[in-house]
Order: sequence, then structure tokens, then C-alpha cells
Amino acid sequence: MLRGVDLELPAHTLVRISGTNGTGKSTLLRLIAGIDAPSEGRIDGRPRTAYVPERFPGVLPFTAVGYLRHIGRIHGLDRRTAGARADEWLERFGAGEHSLTPLAELSKGTSQKVAVAQALLAEPELLVLDEAWTGLDAAARAELDRAVAERVAAGATAVYVDHDPLRLADAADSVHSVSGGTLIPAEPAAPNAPRLSGAGSGPRVQIIVTGPPGALPPDGLPGTPEHEIRPDGDILLTVTAPYSDSLLRALLGARPPWHIRQVEHREATKVSQR
Amino acid sequence: MKALFALLGYQTALLARSQRWLPPFLLYGIILAVGIQPGRPVLDALGYSAAALLPVTAWLVRVCVTQEPTSARDITSAATSPQRVQLAPLLTALMGAGVLGCLGTTVVVLVSKAMGADNHTVVPIPEAVFAGLLAAAVCALTGAAVAALCTRPLLYSRGWSLALTALGSLLALVTTGSPAKYAVTVLVTGSRTGDPRLPLLAFAGALLFAGVAGAAACAMGPLRGTDVATEN
Repeated sequence: MLRGVDLELPAHTLVRISGTNGTGKSTLLRLIAGIDAPSEGRIDGRPRTAYVPERFPGVLPFTAVGYLRHIGRIHGLDRRTAGARADEWLERFGAGEHSLTPLAELSKGTSQKVAVAQALLAEPELLVLDEAWTGLDAAARAELDRAVAERVAAGATAVYVDHDPLRLADAADSVHSVSGGTLIPAEPAAPNAPRLSGAGSGPRVQIIVTGPPGALPPDGLPGTPEHEIRPDGDILLTVTAPYSDSLLRALLGARPPWHIRQVEHREATKVSQR
Repeated sequence: MKALFALLGYQTALLARSQRWLPPFLLYGIILAVGIQPGRPVLDALGYSAAALLPVTAWLVRVCVTQEPTSARDITSAATSPQRVQLAPLLTALMGAGVLGCLGTTVVVLVSKAMGADNHTVVPIPEAVFAGLLAAAVCALTGAAVAALCTRPLLYSRGWSLALTALGSLLALVTTGSPAKYAVTVLVTGSRTGDPRLPLLAFAGALLFAGVAGAAACAMGPLRGTDVATEN
């Protein structure tokens, strides 16, 4: 049971909902996703929404790709687009060879890939993820991080719950904590500053770019990278790893385009608990 | 609208692939096979086949409303709306009942005699067919309404749901004032007089009943969801 929840979810934001088990995180996500209606109060605005449930049913009488096509159609895609996206997303999560396998015969991990793919294939404006990473292999978890960042970079709002405090750490624009039946804002994201004690900072990617002489990187880049002007005039951009692909895409697509000189992955740093 | 059509396609595929449609379809076939004898007055037979459609549709609605696992419903509810996700299986079941009603009416008209109950008044076939289809629609809508009121999201307990659906279907066939009872009576009376009359009033009543029951079920969907939502 939740009371007095006041939450605004603007476009272009990644929002983490934290809290201990049994506090109502899943209930809040269901309200946000529009699955349940609040018994009091209201929820304004209903963008195109996709939801990844905590547990995905393996008992539907469809193949993986068959199910995804149906969900694509339900999201309003035409038949051809739904089919193409279904194949594309299964491939992206490394489940391409299981596309014709009945859902009932899929392993738990592959089943979760289908659960994630159904939400992403429609390019929703609001993406709600309830422990969506659970059960995925490491490669698929990283791919989901990037896919979520990609949606946010494209203007969507993503709201997620995950038991791993490092999940999309530092990439979240705000963290809200469910506690005592209500929602309280946790510390806001500050680049490079570990927010949750003991969480450390997630992996980062450093990109060295050359732009037009004297130009600063454009505003509103995906993942709001920090920039540092190097003595040779190049600019060093540091961004949380999930956003790196979206950032590169934005830089290369900018007018005038930026030249990428070097891309380097920096591993996550664990900080000791204070 | 587009989303609702896609949901209907999804629900129909679920129903077709699950084989849970088979028992109600078989039941309808058995009732007709037992009760319809060749050469009997056509309107009497049409009244019987329409009445048989009521419990069959109620069963079909139960099958459709409960066939989608909860977490799959959550996914489709988020993608569309919980109301539409509640409406789609009701419409899918009605489409199934429509197929059965058309098949049943065709078979009945083919094997029955175009005569009134007195065995010498000629009953015009086109009018008999139309009256039979309308009566079948009345019974299907009434059965769907009864089942919609007796399953989720209004009633979750499986045992109670089954018992009340069966009882409600029976009562809808025998209680005066029920559109189904009225429609069947119109056909049987028409058979006695040799004059097929259309149960239009019953049809309007059944539409209203099904509309109200469907709206109640759709409105309750997102509200009851919170109570039965899985723990965190």
C-alpha cells in the first residue's frame, strides 16, 4: 500500500526506484505502467508504455518470435515492422537461434530475453522495468543497459527497479526510494560521485574527440558527459558506459560532425563503504 | 481501435493454439446431436439450438478470460489499457460463439422440416433462419454476460466462479424476464402458430445486459489488480 506518492517523470530521464523488499516497489511500477489504477489520486498522461514483469510466463502457446510479433502488433506496429523488430531484438540479445522455439521450451535466461525484447521492440515512450536484468547472462545484461540508455537518449522515460545497486549506477538521472508506504527522493545523480555508499561508480567510457576549432561539445548529449579540453585542443568526454554508443552516435550525427580520435573503456571502481 | 484488433488476433491465437476451445465446442455438438432429430419443426429446433448456445458461450468466456497468464496480461495491459485487455477475451469468446451459432443454425435448418408444430403450416425458411440467428445471438450475449459477471476481475475463486456460471446460465434460460428465455419462447410460440417472429426486443435486452456486464468487468480490471498483485 502506497500513499502520498508524487512523482514526475519527464522525457529524456532514467529513474531508479529503490527500496527494500516488500515495500511496494512493484506496486508503484504497476501504477506507473498503467496496469493498475490508484484507489485514490490520479496519474496524468499516458505515453506509449512497455512493461517488463518480474516473472515472465513460459506457458504461452507461441514461439518466441510469434509472441513478439503479436506484442508488436498490439503496440501498433504493422505486420512487417513487427516481424523485423522481433528478429532484430532476439538477435541483439543473443537469442536469434531460439526464435522458432516454443516459449514453453526456452530456458529461464532465454525466456527473460523474450520478456525484455517485447518491451523494447515497440520503442516505447515510457519503459518500466521490474528486475528485468534478473536471469540474463552478462552479455545480455550489458546489452539491456545500452538499450535502456538508447531509449532515454531517444527521448523516452525509463523507470527501473533492480536489486543490484550498481545497475546503471551513475547513469540514472534520479533515484527515488520507496519507504514506509511512500516515496522519498534519494540523492540525485552527480556525475563521478558515488551516490549510494558502497555502490562505487559504474564503468565509464572515455572518448577523445576533435570538433570544429574552438567549439565546445553540443548541449544535451546522451548521458550528459563531462568534458575536459586537452592541451592539444581535443576534447576528452567521459560518460557512463551504457550511454557510450548513444553518445558516439550523437557526435557522429551532429552537424558539423565531430571526429572520434579514441575510445577507451574504464572499468567500474568499487569504493569502500564510508 | 487498431490495438483492440491486434488484441483480438492475439486472444484468438491463444484460444486456437491452447485447445481449450475444444470442450465447449464439443459440448455444443453433443447437445445438438442428442436433441436435434431430422424432420422436426424448424422453429422448435432453432429454439433448442439457440438455448444450447447460452451455457456454451458462458464456458467459452470463462476459457478466454482465464487463458492469458497474469504477467502476460500485465504486458498487454501496459501496452494498451487494462480495460481493453479485459474486453478482448469477451469479444473473442463472442466471435467463437458466433461461429458456433451460424454452424448450428445452418445444420438445424438443413435437417429440420419447414413446418410449424401442427405439421401442416408452412414456415418460410429465410425468415426462420433470420429468427434463429437472432435468437442464437440473444443467447450468446446473455451467456457471455452471465460468465463475465462470474469470473475475474469480479470473482476470482475458481470454484465459486464455475458454480455461479453454471447456475447463472441455467437461470438465464428458465427465468421469466431473461432475454434468452424470451427469445426461445418467441421461436417456440412462432412454431405453434407457424409464423416466425423476430425476437427483437430480446435482442435489445441481451445487448444491454452484455454491455453492462462487459463494462463492469472492464472497469473493475485495473482496480482489482492491486489487491491481487503479486508481492514484491
